[in-house]
Amino acid sequence: MISLDLFHDFVRGPLALSAFLIFFTGTAYQVLRFFYLSQKIKKTTHNPFRLSPTTAVCAPPVKSTARRISFFKGTIAGVHPVMTVITSLFHTCLIAAPLFLLGHNNLIDESWGISFFSLPEGITDIMTVMVIGCSLFFLFRRIFSPRVRSITTLSDYLILLLTAMPFITGFLAFHQTTAYKPMIILHMLSGEIMLILLPFTKLVHMLFFFINRFLIPHENSFGRGTRTWYFGGPKFSFKRWYFGKKKFDIDNW
Amino acid sequence: MKETTDTVDTGKIRTTLNKNKAQISLSLKLCVHCTLCAESCFLYMHREKDPVYMPSHKFINSLGRLYKKKGNIDRKGLEEIREVVWDRCVLCTRCYCPMGIDIPGMIALTRGICRDQGVLPQFDEE
Repeated sequence: MISLDLFHDFVRGPLALSAFLIFFTGTAYQVLRFFYLSQKIKKTTHNPFRLSPTTAVCAPPVKSTARRISFFKGTIAGVHPVMTVITSLFHTCLIAAPLFLLGHNNLIDESWGISFFSLPEGITDIMTVMVIGCSLFFLFRRIFSPRVRSITTLSDYLILLLTAMPFITGFLAFHQTTAYKPMIILHMLSGEIMLILLPFTKLVHMLFFFINRFLIPHENSFGRGTRTWYFGGPKFSFKRWYFGKKKFDIDNW
Repeated sequence: MKETTDTVDTGKIRTTLNKNKAQISLSLKLCVHCTLCAESCFLYMHREKDPVYMPSHKFINSLGRLYKKKGNIDRKGLEEIREVVWDRCVLCTRCYCPMGIDIPGMIALTRGICRDQGVLPQFDEE
């Protein structure tokens, strides 16, 4: 039986370091793999998806209030106002709360002597509650909305639990409603599991939301995209390059 | 009457899937099952908001199914996929995905796979 203190030190020390290492290498791997599997697009003379804003299909050609309202009604914020607000809140708080939490910044300061600025503890507390509330909204939506239920799998629930777990345990540990030590171990453990799994599960949408919406040009992209996927795999392959080249022939040298 | 073979060349399907493996696996992984794409499909809006007409539902149940089975599918399965990619989708490319998944591209790829196996839409049936 491992003592709680020893496990605490293990989670606090080597596991945290390896979690951050795996997170950063996994992220770099995913981004590099995208650049390896995509190519820069040549400048085309006509691209229907990149018309000027005044002539694009859904953009308002004349700037009037009615046009603007009708344009807004076609966007995702107009079609799903509740979902847009809740998902924006959820993701903002999800990133901001742990990054600007006073306790986390103190730990970083103790370790490396540098830290971000911190928000007041009251605000981060509200943010944490908001993350938990929004997760509950997503959970109920998954259970009770028939169209979401039709494509929901077990992994969706697990991913949601994985995302909400660090916040629930962190909230309980901060307010010390239950035993502090097991709760803070659970908090660190769940956070580390989330970091480790981030580049390899559905949570990778943190990276590919930006890559897909900003770098690849399509109808719903923000701004001008410059890259496109190789369909049928990349032209250059390390395997083909290594096995395809002529081996050094010692006899005919 | 159109000639159809009862066998499915799983090797050919697997080759096609492996060629586009990175995009397919990434697209399946990126779909967070949020169903925000539903309203962008006019078929969904006009068929009493039946979930089977959602772009994500179509994508997961056609190419996702092929990919998860690694191409090992029988004729009956392919015919179910044919119904998804031809009867429930007209490839109008108007689907909106918050994650920017190329759903029409994936449906078109599935159509290509079905065409390779001789599973085609039959307009003379009904």
